[in-house]
Amino acid sequence: MKTNKNKMMKLCALVLVAAMVVMVFTSCSGSKSSEASTDGTAATTAGKYYASDATAESIVKDAAAKGKVGNWGLGNEYEIQALLSKFGQDTKYLSQAFDMNGFDDDSILLASAMTYNELGLVKNSYKGGYKYGDGVKYIDMNEQGVAMLEDNLFTTKKFATENPNTTKAFIYATLKGWEYACANPEEAAEIVYKSGSSVSTEHQAYMAAEVKKLVETDTTGSAVKNYGNMDETAMQQTLDLAKKYIKLSDSTAASKLQTLTLNDIRDTSYLKDAAASAGKFGKLEKTSVKVQLKWLPQAQFMGYYVALSKGYYKDVGLTVTIVPGGGDIGETTAVNSGQVDFGVTWVSNLIAANAGGMNLVEVAQVFQRSGLVLVYKINK
Amino acid sequence: MNKKKHRKITKDSVTSVLYPLLFGAVIVVLWQTQILHKILGTDTFVLPLPDRIFTIIGDNMGAIMENVKATVIVSLGGLILGSALGYLLGMIAMAFPKWGAGGLTVVSAFNAVPIIAIAPILNNLTKDFSEDANTRSMIAKTLVVTITCTVAMSINAFRGFTELKPFSLDLMKSYAANKATIFFKLRVPNSLPYVFTALRVSVPASIISALVSEYFAEYIIGVGRQIRENIVLAQYATAWAYIVVACAIGIVLYLILLFAEGILLKNRRPRWKSV
Amino acid sequence: MNQIKKIVQSKQMVTFAWIIGLVAVWEIIASYVEKTKRTPDNVLPHLYQIVESVFSPDLVNGSQTAIQIVLSNAGITLFRAAIGFVIGTAIGFLLALLMNMFTAAEKIAFPYLMIIQMIPILGMAPIVLAITKDIDTSRIVIAAILTFYPVATNTLAGFKSVEKEKHELMYSLAARKRDIYKKLLIPSCMPYFFTGLKISAPMAITASILVDTLQGGGGLGCMLSQSLKHAMTIYVFWQIVFVGAIIGILSYALMTLLERLVSPNKKAKR
Repeated sequence: MKTNKNKMMKLCALVLVAAMVVMVFTSCSGSKSSEASTDGTAATTAGKYYASDATAESIVKDAAAKGKVGNWGLGNEYEIQALLSKFGQDTKYLSQAFDMNGFDDDSILLASAMTYNELGLVKNSYKGGYKYGDGVKYIDMNEQGVAMLEDNLFTTKKFATENPNTTKAFIYATLKGWEYACANPEEAAEIVYKSGSSVSTEHQAYMAAEVKKLVETDTTGSAVKNYGNMDETAMQQTLDLAKKYIKLSDSTAASKLQTLTLNDIRDTSYLKDAAASAGKFGKLEKTSVKVQLKWLPQAQFMGYYVALSKGYYKDVGLTVTIVPGGGDIGETTAVNSGQVDFGVTWVSNLIAANAGGMNLVEVAQVFQRSGLVLVYKINK
Repeated sequence: MNKKKHRKITKDSVTSVLYPLLFGAVIVVLWQTQILHKILGTDTFVLPLPDRIFTIIGDNMGAIMENVKATVIVSLGGLILGSALGYLLGMIAMAFPKWGAGGLTVVSAFNAVPIIAIAPILNNLTKDFSEDANTRSMIAKTLVVTITCTVAMSINAFRGFTELKPFSLDLMKSYAANKATIFFKLRVPNSLPYVFTALRVSVPASIISALVSEYFAEYIIGVGRQIRENIVLAQYATAWAYIVVACAIGIVLYLILLFAEGILLKNRRPRWKSV
Repeated sequence: MNQIKKIVQSKQMVTFAWIIGLVAVWEIIASYVEKTKRTPDNVLPHLYQIVESVFSPDLVNGSQTAIQIVLSNAGITLFRAAIGFVIGTAIGFLLALLMNMFTAAEKIAFPYLMIIQMIPILGMAPIVLAITKDIDTSRIVIAAILTFYPVATNTLAGFKSVEKEKHELMYSLAARKRDIYKKLLIPSCMPYFFTGLKISAPMAITASILVDTLQGGGGLGCMLSQSLKHAMTIYVFWQIVFVGAIIGILSYALMTLLERLVSPNKKAKR
């Protein structure tokens, strides 16, 4: 018994030591391989990336084969998956952090970027930028025919039905804010910054200029005059792609997704009435409302900040609180739970939420084209 | 006498299994009949009914097991590495009590840094460890779990090595036992209950930190990641299916721990009494 | 001479030496990162760069510098953590009392306390939000849920640690149940109760930072995630890592101080 125990103790000690050795070994081999890869970067800058005249198809195929296409996931991935399938690739992608470090260190060759945000960080050399300048090019989802509509304005069907005047007034004042912001992007950027956004002034100005393009150009590249317009073709394309690429494990939700039509996700009547109203509405059912943004406070949402600071909301009799997003309680959940009244989300997220059992309705489409691109480095 | 005591324990252990099971059954019934929803003031959308949750688990067994495997590997790997490292640190601290104890105080400060801050740092630091994204994100996740498990173990192991029964050290010395003998015959057995105390904290902590580190990982896999993706996409029923799975992993690992503790410590207890 | 030796060998010196050691390790890795990465700030900056950023007068948003943002948001997080901690402590103590009074309650509650700890916060959050309809209340509730477990288990262990002889003495004195708790059980569980507090105080803060990230608004966690998402300078993130750790350690120290104030003799005994 005694010797037995002794043996066990020794064994324990041995296992311990072995574990330590393994740890040391793995960390050593880790640092070794890192040295190798940094050497590799130095040696192959000549042809490691893509030729500046390479076709989108060849780039997508190459990056997909290497497993180096990146996206953030969490409902932002469908356009990328649609593009991958378009070129006959598997729809698997790497999880990209919300910074561009992965693209910078080459763990991602073809990285997702929003034209107004990450693309600017990659190219520009202001603080926080990666200073690539002309060293990068990108693939545009609109040009590839896989565009899905993004930032919209939505609420629950219940709220819209019970508070029609509030809904119309909110749409009206918001779009007025967008109109002013697009006419004066620099001032709009300044307003967002003053409202407490921590995005640097330079990047904010870049963002405002890029967002203006998304609000005033449609997926085909033609100009849009009526802000907030819900274009039938683009909406239908979004819904079709959503049905194809949103994968739901819940069979009830998955079959509901396939039955959804445009009428289940949007209602154009409020926008129409708002446009015809000339700023006069009947008695507002609710005068104090909250709107949750899809992301952090930045010029992506300049229309709301402008409407607030220019007093457009006040003019129609509304007191508005802007709730920044970016957390894991999504805007769909926040609106559905009644914690906020309106939300800004991507159309695909609204479709997924309704398939899952929510009753949300889009009342205006702010961005008229997809702002998502896949950015890649080119050989010098 | 002995037999009677044994029987008493069995009866005791039967009720301690039965009571929670009964309570659980009541909760499930209240849940399924939606009485629970009325009490909490919520709806079947945010808190889906059990039958729907279990249907989803049944429908997606393959995918779920793949995610479970990834999570279990990370949490167990981190638990083993962290506990081994913690035990070793405790040992070093015992050998050099003065410097060691101070070191442990500093190490315990790591507990004050939130996982959500540690996970992204380690993610970036381990980028060069492997060409394969799955492998390197596994390493990053395991390291996060390792850090959370090291602290609890090192402090408990140190106490286990040093807080000996009164006079036991003098007794060993009077037998002219050398340091190694004292270590293996006295300190190591003495540390065992403390090791289990640490593990009781570390096992749940390892799972929680594995789940959270998955949120930030580069490669999309794991139960925690699925919970997050589904919550953000407003797929609550699916998210709940994964939450149930996460709880199941925790319960199973904890039961294994209790079982191991029962076997290992039972044989030891009488021996201490004789010391 | 002897005095210098004493200082050199004092406990503070040992801690200090360890901190120096950790700083050295950090700096070695940071130097390596600086040589190999294009944007070392994001991976691991030098410590002096972080200190520099603390004193930088540059405005990060319309009105605040980096450290002002961090400190004002730390205030918000601390406030929520403190309320959650107090609620959690109260619930934990009451639960322990209940579990000690009724064995059935202990048997029922114990496994579920464990399980509640294992439900990921993200799963809990939407339900709590649906009930409270307010994100800040939800944050406090979740912080409370995450902190009551150590208090409950440690206090219960404290109740159980009372020697049988003392119980018997109380019975022989025909003491009422209330008196047994007042005179015997509660005083003797105090050290255990404080052990629970010392564990859960830093936990309340890390939990509070975690629940900040659930939605926008204020709080250290919000700023941390904004900084990680490059919506503001990355040094806000690095400052939060340190500020978070410091307030965690301070909360532990505060509990130790409180313990000394409440039961000074207990401390002297050990």
